[in-house]
Amino acid sequence: MSRDKSLVVDGVRQFFGPKNSRVQALSRTDLVIEPGQFVCLAGPSGCGKTTLLRLIAGFIKPSEGQITVSGSEIFGPGPDRGVVFQSPTLYPWMDVASNVELGLKFQGVSKDQRRADSERYLQMVGLTDFAHRRTYELSGGMQQRCQIARVLASDPEFILMDEPFGALDALTRERLQNELLDIWRKTGKTILFITHSVDEAVFLGSRVLVMSPRPGKILFDEPAIFSKPGESIAAEEIRSLPAFLELRERVRSSIQHSH
Amino acid sequence: MVIPLEGLEYHPSGSSADPHDGPQTVSKSAPFWVRVRKSHWTTRLTALAAFLVVWWFLTTPWAWNGDKPIMLPLYLPSIPSVWNAFIRANTIHPIAEGVDREVVGEYGYYLWQHLLATLQRIGIGLFFAIVVGLPLGLLMASVKIISVSVEPYINFLRSLPPLGYIGLLIVWFGIDNTSKIWLLFLAAFPPITIATIAGVSGIKEDQIHAAQSLGASRLQVVSSVTVPAIAPDLITGIRVALGFAWTTVVAAELNNGIPGIGGLAYLSGTELKTPLTITCIIVIGITAIALDSIIKAMERVLTPWRGKA
Repeated sequence: MSRDKSLVVDGVRQFFGPKNSRVQALSRTDLVIEPGQFVCLAGPSGCGKTTLLRLIAGFIKPSEGQITVSGSEIFGPGPDRGVVFQSPTLYPWMDVASNVELGLKFQGVSKDQRRADSERYLQMVGLTDFAHRRTYELSGGMQQRCQIARVLASDPEFILMDEPFGALDALTRERLQNELLDIWRKTGKTILFITHSVDEAVFLGSRVLVMSPRPGKILFDEPAIFSKPGESIAAEEIRSLPAFLELRERVRSSIQHSH
Repeated sequence: MVIPLEGLEYHPSGSSADPHDGPQTVSKSAPFWVRVRKSHWTTRLTALAAFLVVWWFLTTPWAWNGDKPIMLPLYLPSIPSVWNAFIRANTIHPIAEGVDREVVGEYGYYLWQHLLATLQRIGIGLFFAIVVGLPLGLLMASVKIISVSVEPYINFLRSLPPLGYIGLLIVWFGIDNTSKIWLLFLAAFPPITIATIAGVSGIKEDQIHAAQSLGASRLQVVSSVTVPAIAPDLITGIRVALGFAWTTVVAAELNNGIPGIGGLAYLSGTELKTPLTITCIIVIGITAIALDSIIKAMERVLTPWRGKA
């Protein structure tokens, strides 16, 4: 059964601050992410979408409820859930290739195997020529590519992405969106992708969620597949499909009515 | 001794200009000691020349001053007499003028032997300061109980003048090298611990999270993220610690400090051998600056990302 490998958010609520003046960041949330899904979570700034991602990543413990992966509750971060951060958290004391190999190194993979894997993933994200550069020599877009390669190389079940393209210029962002879609189709990874861009959510996601702010609550959840696996439609074509435009409009109005 | 840093240094070809390079940028392939702006060297040499001229002016006998120098040799010896003291300290020479008996350097040791003895003490003290100060700082940064209970003692220790407790150390550890090394160690480890704590608190939380999400164990987080992340702060801490060790060295060598350049400076002062005292001061100062420059050079080689990421 496919549910076996799914990620389940079960009755999770999250509060911040001291007991007497605590703020509810996330109201009771239930969510099941099936293997292979590309779930895009859209919502305005401060709606709690990053909180939900950090809960799933295990960086914070839920105030109530539990999160399970393949049926067992998570306690803290783990290599089954790779994270691509909003601002790249590459390590400047390592070169690009060593950053990509890091997860494998932690798992005790041999050096030769690590080199081979990092070469493969660096090629996938188009950074082959930069393998031996320092990370701070890369542009913002290249740093995000490197982060993605690092997460892919450590081969997690789930990839959690927190507005990874938010700080990039429009052209770079579109190129990375297309690359990410390609990677998803090739690898079949399960992705949770957070964004404040409606267009990005609808374009990338195989399923689109919308979250309302204060306290965060998921109020929209629909499938959104505009290209079947195996066929590659040009990005411009997808963006001009009537179904795409119609869903984008409904997601937009759902966000507008949420607050 | 010149350490061949050339070639080891990292020169990012694709990055923007080094912010330390001013308008008079020297070629990036030049070694760092050339990269210090040329005008700095001219300024420094001019300042040194001016200083020597003033010294010479104050210590030369003048006819208009009754054939006496403005400052008497006891207070400020002349440049040649300091030079002679330097030569005497480095050679076998008659114990006094017209006496046949010859002695080695000063107090039976050449000047370089005094310097080497001191450098050894500082080196051992600093070594233990790093070996103890770094793990202590890591522990204090990660375990609240340790930080709360140990921090007052470190601040207490830091505020003590070394002269105040060298006597106690001599009682505990004897008058030989051990008490001196203890004093240098106690002076040097607080800045290293404090720099380590500052470094750990400066690590971005998500850099730790990223490693944990890649499957790092606690130990792997420390070795792959924490330690390299604090390296720039740690090197600064070591520089400060070395400075403290130098300022403590005379106190350490006050008793039974021969051989030792701090002891020599103190002893020659008490015997009114001012030229020798000034020689020692100059040698101590130049050695300290040279060591500091070596650490600064190591900093560029070991942590090239400093200020860039």
